[in-house]
Amino acid sequence: MSGYSFDFFYVLNGFSRLLQGLIVSLELTAIVVGIGTFSGFVLALATSSRSLFLSVPTRLFVEIFRCTPALIQIVWFFYCLPVLADVFWPPFTMGVIALTLNLTAFNSEAYRAAIQAIPAAQRDASIALGLSRWHQAIHVVFPQVLRIASPVLVSNSISLFQQSSLVAIVSVEDLMYQGKLLAVQTYRPIETFTIVALIYFGLSFPISQLVGRIERYNARLLA
Amino acid sequence: MVSGSRQIPAAPGPASSVADAGGAGSAGQSAEGEDRLPATQPFVEIRNLRKSYARGAIPVLKGVGDTMSKTDRLVILGPSGGGKSTLLRCVMGLETIDSGAITLDGRNYIECLSNGRTFVDRTVQRQVGMVFQHYTLFPHLTVLGNLILAPVKRNGEKKGAAIARAEALLSRFGLISKLKSYPSQLSGGQKQRVAIARALMLEPKLMLFDEVTSALDPELIAEVESMISELAEGGMPMMIVTHDMGFAKNIATKVLFCADGVVMESGDPETFFAAPKIKRTRDFLASILRGTKV
Ligand SMILES: Nc1ncnc2c1ncn2[C@@H]1O[C@H](COP(=O)(O)OP(=O)(O)OP(=O)(O)O)[C@@H](O)[C@H]1O
Ligand SMILES: [Mg+2]
Repeated sequence: MSGYSFDFFYVLNGFSRLLQGLIVSLELTAIVVGIGTFSGFVLALATSSRSLFLSVPTRLFVEIFRCTPALIQIVWFFYCLPVLADVFWPPFTMGVIALTLNLTAFNSEAYRAAIQAIPAAQRDASIALGLSRWHQAIHVVFPQVLRIASPVLVSNSISLFQQSSLVAIVSVEDLMYQGKLLAVQTYRPIETFTIVALIYFGLSFPISQLVGRIERYNARLLA
Repeated sequence: MVSGSRQIPAAPGPASSVADAGGAGSAGQSAEGEDRLPATQPFVEIRNLRKSYARGAIPVLKGVGDTMSKTDRLVILGPSGGGKSTLLRCVMGLETIDSGAITLDGRNYIECLSNGRTFVDRTVQRQVGMVFQHYTLFPHLTVLGNLILAPVKRNGEKKGAAIARAEALLSRFGLISKLKSYPSQLSGGQKQRVAIARALMLEPKLMLFDEVTSALDPELIAEVESMISELAEGGMPMMIVTHDMGFAKNIATKVLFCADGVVMESGDPETFFAAPKIKRTRDFLASILRGTKV
């Protein structure tokens, strides 16, 4: 042991601030996951399109977001977008935009694999039933790929929840941001960040355990 | 069940239960077309149909032409790879074509335009229903969900009305107990019968069956074939691809022998089975009788 004596007193005094921050983190995550779960599907349709006008730019988009650090994406939106596009939105909005695009890109890859798993015969049947391409996408393909891809979608969403802590850099007052403030004010960074980490873990772990259950349920239904 | 000896009479007049298949509200539909059609005009006409895959590299249909009347049940026979499925898929509007046209009830609904594109009249296409060899029920929807999806989403039918029609249809075909089942809980025969019912929900004027029993265990074939026979007795015009010669003899009012992408022989079933005109047909029938698949 290093001999460090833990003292959680001051940190626990500031616990309500951490909770406020947590609410911001959860809001951010909920909005981003809510949008990204659907937009990832739409993007996957575009990337698997036979039209090069659709597939090439959208694949490029996906690769840009997959191959650059999320931290840079957030910082870029916060500092560069206002200059380039002359828009000044609050940090929270910028965070939502950057993380939504990031999650959309990752989710679209999960959906793309799932779309390929759907038998072509279902497409024929949909046409024979007179369903439009959009109806087919929404009522036939989406409900199935949502299930097939759900293990990956859930773990993407958990990662997103962790990565949402990066928005603290651009002063969104999330859990991480409040944690940093508290650490400085209490001079107790070890205790503070331990608690912050426990909060992230406590919320993420149960959800990650859902993945196995979802897989078993899907295997039964889509057999 | 279909017995080997039972013959289904040629379809009765237009006021028959073709429309009943889809339930209420369509009684006039089948009569309408019949009134419009002069006696000589075929119900379905396929003209000089050419179709290739891989941009012409694999020619499959090489100028297919034939007709079918409103009272016909056209059975398409032929060796594997002869283009039977491709022909039905073209009639359904699932494929682009290289030349030719298909008419239904006097309307040109599939046509190869002068620019080489395939024109499909979606309103006419909707009057054609198709059931496939592979199971195509949507696995995430219950039987009821499968039946009402297209009527509600595509036709904007009220959900309650669609459910009532679906229940009537399922009762009629002995499937009502499966209403809330998912496809994964059904036998192969039940899946195919539900697929037929799903197509009937759209009140088609023409039904296409592409080897709907060939994925089934032998003991499940009869229930599907008898459902098709029941539709036939109700006067539903249909095109059927099958390898089951007993079924073909029972249900056909006209037979088309398709091989190497052309119609080798076509005519009434009596002549076709008893005294085929060309050697290729005789060889085919003989090989089937011997039980070898060509
Ligand atoms: N999507 C496709 N791409 C390339 N070739 C194809 C395609 N579909 C069918 N073919 C070819 O077209 C030919 C005719 O196929 P088709 O499925 O129409 O035959 P069929 O008469 O239905 O045979 P079977 O009795 O085996 O079902 C075959 O040689 C097949 O390999
Ligand atoms: Mg076939």
